[in-house]
Amino acid sequence: MEHDIWGRRSLAEGQLEYMSIGDLHLWIKYRNEEVWISHAYKDELTRKPASDEPPKQVEWARWAHKNSSAEVTVSPVYPDKPLVVHSEFNLKVSPETRIQIFTRIPIWIRISLANNNYQLIELPAVKLSRTWFGTFTEGELCYHASTKARRDLSHVDKKSYLVSCPIRIVNKSEEELTFSNFCFRVERLSMYLHDNELWADETEIIYQGEDLHSEVIMTGKLPDGITKKQLLTKPRKKVHKSLATRTFKRFFKDTVLVDR
Amino acid sequence: MDLFNIYSYLSEETVRQIIRVLLIIVISIPVLLLLRGWARRFFTKKYASHYGMLAGKVVFYTGIILMIITVMGQLGISLAPLLAGAGIVGVALGFASQTSVSNIISGLFLIAEQPFKVDDIINVSGTIGIVMSIDVLSVKLRTFDNMFVRIPNETIIKTQVINLTRFPIRRFNAKVSVAYKEDIEKVREILMEVAEKNQYSLSEPEPQIIFEAFGTSSIDLDFRIWAPVDEWIFLKNTIQEEIKKRFDEEGIEIPFPHVSFYTGEASKPLPIELIQKTESTLSDNDQ
Repeated sequence: MEHDIWGRRSLAEGQLEYMSIGDLHLWIKYRNEEVWISHAYKDELTRKPASDEPPKQVEWARWAHKNSSAEVTVSPVYPDKPLVVHSEFNLKVSPETRIQIFTRIPIWIRISLANNNYQLIELPAVKLSRTWFGTFTEGELCYHASTKARRDLSHVDKKSYLVSCPIRIVNKSEEELTFSNFCFRVERLSMYLHDNELWADETEIIYQGEDLHSEVIMTGKLPDGITKKQLLTKPRKKVHKSLATRTFKRFFKDTVLVDR
Repeated sequence: MDLFNIYSYLSEETVRQIIRVLLIIVISIPVLLLLRGWARRFFTKKYASHYGMLAGKVVFYTGIILMIITVMGQLGISLAPLLAGAGIVGVALGFASQTSVSNIISGLFLIAEQPFKVDDIINVSGTIGIVMSIDVLSVKLRTFDNMFVRIPNETIIKTQVINLTRFPIRRFNAKVSVAYKEDIEKVREILMEVAEKNQYSLSEPEPQIIFEAFGTSSIDLDFRIWAPVDEWIFLKNTIQEEIKKRFDEEGIEIPFPHVSFYTGEASKPLPIELIQKTESTLSDNDQ
């Protein structure tokens, strides 16, 4: 089972550890007081790789550390940039309406030394394309993802490389909010393991109108049945109670019109 | 008179004055250099290398002016007559060093207007390079083939300067030509797939394909793809290779310039008939 990969792993001298999650294949070994890691993605390989030996085209990376240890920790983490999540179908939220949706996003895998948490490598489980969120003169680099913006996840297939994120959208404006895409800032979310599935704590986005920044609140509320004890990964950044940020609106004009 | 006694030539007070002046210079210059380094590092770390460079210059030149005033005070030179004379000297110097003064003033405008900063990549009349420093008289560039270029500030003020890295994203326009027989809809699909799979291209702003023209030998398309500004060169390098590879795989023809002759009826090629060689022609050729 793929979910078994999380946690501490002891590496025997010269012995190869193989793990696969999403599109990522990983090989780890401990040799001459060094940790060796190699990886490959599904689209880079012509056939399914062998677990006891990485394909020849895959290169190894080596780490030598002052407190050399043969134990590593493998943990799931959120992507290192925000995600611009596109909804497959537009969802219109009426004024003064509060809804909850779920979006599932691909995780990253972090490998660190177990004795001091020294981070060796972080790799995405699935390669995501990048996108720009903002204007031509300012903005931020994000990953591009799509969502079905489901209201209920109970009948959805479990996928170990996806983390389910509950999002509460509150339309406090007097206009209809068309939920087609939004910038999901995942760096302040924690990750929990429940029933072999990865879950995030709740994010609340308060939409206040097209010309105003939306308020994003990390409520810390956990989905039903999940407790704080099931915490697997802490947030990448320190949790602030809320932040006002551009979340729904992007400013790209049709470049065909403006650039003849 | 003792030839080797310094007090035979200078009074004791003058010697003390010289020692004081030397001490001021010897102590203040290393201190100023240290302060300049500290200011440069602090502002570079906190803001950007451009502000580090500016802070370093402000600290150093302010310190030098203060040092000169102190030294003059020690030597008993009053500033008032100097300042009064500065007007007349200034006019004379101004005429003598018009170019230098123009460069200094242009430098001040460059610092105030900020058309570019240290570490930006600029194009000045075809010279492309990374800005190393914006100095009193000139801007220093390092070109990509590692040459040092000094451009006078006045030249920069007078010429068009293109800042290639001012904005965070940049577009690459790939000129793609395909044969007239190709299905343009299919070509569009392939190009969009190539952009989607390229690791440097951005999903948004969306790639665009503009039907540029019915060319002499091909249909010309303008394929526009966006990338983060620091990855633009990688996008340029990879996407054209990927287009060629995909076109080869899909059998899409990239035509070379050619001319077709018709015999009057559109789309019908010029008929060519192969005539078998006769014995007489053979013998003619053999001769």
